[in-house]
Amino acid sequence: MKPAAFDYARPKEWSEAVKLVGAGARAGAGTQSLGPLLNLRLSQPSTIADLRHLPNYAGVIVAGGVLRIGAGTTHAAIEDGAVPGRIGEIMAAVARRIAYRPVRNRGTIGGSLAHADPAADWVAVLPALGGTAIAFGPNGERRLPLTGFVLGIFETALAPDELLRAVEVPVLPATAKWGHWKFCRKVGEFSKATACVLSVPGAKPRAVLAALDGPPLVIEDASALLADPVREASRVVATVEGLSPWRRSVAETALRHAVEGAA
Amino acid sequence: MTASSDGLGVGASLRRKEDARFLHGQGRFVGDITRPGMLEVAFLRSPVAHARLRGVTKPAGAEKRVFTLDDLPGMGTIRANSALPGFRVSEQPALAKDKLRHVGELIAACVAESRAAAEDLAAGCELDYETLPAISDMRTATAPGAALLHEHWSMNAFLETRRDDDVSGLDAIAAAKVTRTLKTSRQSMAPLEGRGVLAEWDPRLEQMIVTTSTQMPHVTKSGLADCLGLDEGQVRIVSPDVGGGFGYKGILLPEEIVCATLARKLGRPVRWLEDRFEQLSASANCREHHYVLTAWAAKDGKLLGVECEAIVDAGAYSSYPFGACLEAAQVGSILPGPYVLPLLRCHTVSACTNKPPILPYRGVARTGVCYAMETTLDALARKLKITPQAIRFANLVPPEAMPYRNLVGKVFDSGDYPESLRRAEKAIDIASVRKRQAAGETVGVGFATFCEQGAHGTSVYHAWGIPFVPGYEQSSVRLTPDGVLEVRVGVHNHGQGMETTLSQVAHEVLGIHPDRVRVVHGDTALTPYSTGTWGSRAGVMAGGAVAEACRQLSVRVAAIGAALLQVAKDDVVVEDGKVRRKDGDSSVSIADVARTWYRAPQNLPPDVDKGGLEITAGYRPDPDTGTHSYAAHAVVARVDTDTGEVVLEDYVIVEDGGKLLNPMIVDGQVLGGLAQGIGTALYEEMPYDADGQPLAATLADYLLPGSTDVPDVRLEHMETLSPWTTFGQKGIGESGAIGPPGAIVNAINDALARIGAEVMDLPATPERVLAAIHACRK
Amino acid sequence: MSKIAITLTVNGEETKVETEPREHLADLLRGKLLLTGTHIGCEHGVCGACTVEVDGVPARSCITHAGVCDGAAVRTIEGFGDDEIMAALREAFAREHALQCGYCTPGMLVTSRDIVLRLPDADEARVREELAGNLCRCTGYRGIVRAVLSVLAERRKA
Repeated sequence: MKPAAFDYARPKEWSEAVKLVGAGARAGAGTQSLGPLLNLRLSQPSTIADLRHLPNYAGVIVAGGVLRIGAGTTHAAIEDGAVPGRIGEIMAAVARRIAYRPVRNRGTIGGSLAHADPAADWVAVLPALGGTAIAFGPNGERRLPLTGFVLGIFETALAPDELLRAVEVPVLPATAKWGHWKFCRKVGEFSKATACVLSVPGAKPRAVLAALDGPPLVIEDASALLADPVREASRVVATVEGLSPWRRSVAETALRHAVEGAA
Repeated sequence: MTASSDGLGVGASLRRKEDARFLHGQGRFVGDITRPGMLEVAFLRSPVAHARLRGVTKPAGAEKRVFTLDDLPGMGTIRANSALPGFRVSEQPALAKDKLRHVGELIAACVAESRAAAEDLAAGCELDYETLPAISDMRTATAPGAALLHEHWSMNAFLETRRDDDVSGLDAIAAAKVTRTLKTSRQSMAPLEGRGVLAEWDPRLEQMIVTTSTQMPHVTKSGLADCLGLDEGQVRIVSPDVGGGFGYKGILLPEEIVCATLARKLGRPVRWLEDRFEQLSASANCREHHYVLTAWAAKDGKLLGVECEAIVDAGAYSSYPFGACLEAAQVGSILPGPYVLPLLRCHTVSACTNKPPILPYRGVARTGVCYAMETTLDALARKLKITPQAIRFANLVPPEAMPYRNLVGKVFDSGDYPESLRRAEKAIDIASVRKRQAAGETVGVGFATFCEQGAHGTSVYHAWGIPFVPGYEQSSVRLTPDGVLEVRVGVHNHGQGMETTLSQVAHEVLGIHPDRVRVVHGDTALTPYSTGTWGSRAGVMAGGAVAEACRQLSVRVAAIGAALLQVAKDDVVVEDGKVRRKDGDSSVSIADVARTWYRAPQNLPPDVDKGGLEITAGYRPDPDTGTHSYAAHAVVARVDTDTGEVVLEDYVIVEDGGKLLNPMIVDGQVLGGLAQGIGTALYEEMPYDADGQPLAATLADYLLPGSTDVPDVRLEHMETLSPWTTFGQKGIGESGAIGPPGAIVNAINDALARIGAEVMDLPATPERVLAAIHACRK
Repeated sequence: MSKIAITLTVNGEETKVETEPREHLADLLRGKLLLTGTHIGCEHGVCGACTVEVDGVPARSCITHAGVCDGAAVRTIEGFGDDEIMAALREAFAREHALQCGYCTPGMLVTSRDIVLRLPDADEARVREELAGNLCRCTGYRGIVRAVLSVLAERRKA
């Protein structure tokens, strides 16, 4: 199928982009998620505002113990090491398993997060890393914790006239332990359950269970999970409603494997 | 029959002649072809599975660009009747008349300068319909009180068949009896290229030229001429490069009828290209079988009898030419497989449901039947506490019985069936699997053995009652003045490598270098009539026809060559592209012979055959009951008991396709079939909800096996010649797709045996595998 | 319907062309520039038949709109000339019987070339992983995997 007709806008300034979006335009980044929806006419925006030419849209800046990753940074760039340090290693490994390389070459971290497909990788991983979303609206920048950014299927904490400008993630010590496990029936397929565990010395371990058709489930203190993964995984998954027995089992498995990975 | 001494003929793994154009992006598929003034078509399709259609409101201002059945009078109805007694006839209008019988059925054609604009028109139409209860489950289709799809029928079934051997005494004498209820899922054949049609009317020739992605251009021509009310000579079908067929493109399409009608009405070329959404949502059309199978065996595993109740979901209409009951009606005859079976009782139903009409997918009914039989055999073996190999050895037709006529009258031509299993058994590491099982690993080994009837002809299909019975396959060969050989065939090459293998056949007979052989196919104006490429028939039938035509041409070439050499006809041979004196080295090339016929006829002998250097010859094996290739598949599978995921660790195929015309290409056919069989076994499923809505409309939902999902299979060949074919070759194109579901699920069930779990339904998705495990733990 | 004029460098040649915002790159290449070697298989980014190079890296031309590519360099299967790696891949694909119907082949070659360039040390498992975004319904992949591995091995030797 071909998309329904739409207009194309290429804002050069963030303020211009925000105006377009506020007026109902759909923001477009790499369009690797939006493209299929357009082609199936499941999404029929009047205008697409192409964010790819905005200043500082892509790229990574290190400042004061924090890494600021431009929303337009592609998965491929992250896979290839655009993010430095221990967190870069973690993110590169995640990026490598997003869809396929040609998709990663155009798809962006911000686009994926703002699209808010519950099965998407950054939707699961970024809350575990404990970062901050940098939104930009008519009144300038606003900071939102990534743990509460995705609210539901295709639903985020962004206001209708806001755009995701960047994500900030902490610089992690080399000793930070990370476990990540997702279940896909095929390489590149959307996950049926994703779990992540981050354990930084001196801080409470954090875990996320995601890709269960709703917003990611953030466990701010995952100490109990690390202590008794079998029992705790079962308890946590039992709190998620509407899962088939198979998805429950896969979700529990995901949590257990993520804990093993972070050991 | 060899005139080739350079190893490029039959049996050589010659590189494919067709590769160069594809590797450079120079293939020509329907979607690559445009015409000046061409219009694009998008179809308004049924959004519901079952409804009474009251009317269509066209978008305001676009009334003349949207065409319903009423706007296109004179289009014939598609009817594919079977001669089998009791067959119920369906009438499929090219555009819906008053009833909608499956999601995706064509309602109106929308015409515009671009596909996108045509889709805008379709989106702007309003439908008025009254929803009727949908029949989405074949098991309830024939239940009392079910809504009737075709209201003049007495029940939702195209056909029932019965074979009634008396199995009532088997309970008393059998050492073991098992009954299994098994199901395979509806699939989409999903060739990478969808269907596509470009229709144009040539006023000079008064001819409808339809460029269409089809496996059987001549059958399409006949069917289309009939539906358009034209002479067959007024329809020309061109089938250019075709991006995969697998059975999906062996059909007369309603879209072809509509596009042709529109092209004539509008006086402009009209094109429709199927997209993936259409393909998945409107045309998932194969493989959905349901079995209740009971088998009895003696202590040593010898089968005493089988009883089978089979339903095949045939969808809403009977497609042309193969019809709605090709699969179900064959179940009984395929069930004995490669085994000696004394008794068979079998009842089949071709159920009519609110789903797309069934088409035969690579392997046709065999994939489902092999799955049912092979998993049931393993269940018997477990019950008898013998190995899966042992139960097969106890029943496989032995080589000394060949040719063997089984209880349903199939005649196996040649082969050593047990040897294929012995080799597979040797190649797969059973000991290591048993050791790992003992250590508690959920890993298993599975086998499937089967045979594939291919290239069967008139006698078989006449008995099956299909509207198109294949007869003698023909080829036209002619030498051009420069000595190039043109080989014209009515079969179609869409991946099978026939541009290469048929060149090899011609080379084998005439010795002309394969590069100097030009295989012409895919155009009804240029090729002899043929039922086309299906049923694993082209290598045997077209191969035989080309060989025969070349053999006859060789006689004429020899006569002219002998005259040029000034010796008697009997004193020359044709070999290596030359006519050579038997007693010496002097020779003339076939090019010299061709030049003489066309350009220097003064040098021809006075008794020259005035037919010249062009011959059409026909071929049919005798007997024409078909070749039987066969194979043993062996697989090691590991099951994750937490997620239900199945990983194929090792895969072995031992295959006997008789003489391999081109071993490299045969390998490719088997490997490609295997990938599709793995799809059937583990991934592919088009679920429908209770309202008959398809639930997998993209390739993100309908999972096709990818590069990580197909193991690096080990493939061994046996080459037992068929006594009935030109070179001893056997049909083998579908074979790879037949064995995997049975072998893989047997491996899974072997792995799960310690838990007591068994998988019954395909595909064996993680969810189904885990459900089987959980059912045992409760 | 809005139209937009864009400039693309296609297979090395600068091309000015008009497009509709909704037109994807594959349709523009095939319909307007007659570069029909780029095939359309799903139009939702899964099958990989439409894979082309955009600014030097593989991209799905079915979910990348043409208008977005204004100013970009696009290379299709017709544009590799005598590129050494592509030539080696073509040779290897023919030798290993890595194609049957030929429909997936152009996209498969573009992806394969990227693997060879980007992952010179890739083993079979990695090659399979990287090829997973290009579906082939005919070959069962063995020939394709072997072809890519053979080109990688040749280059490691050289």
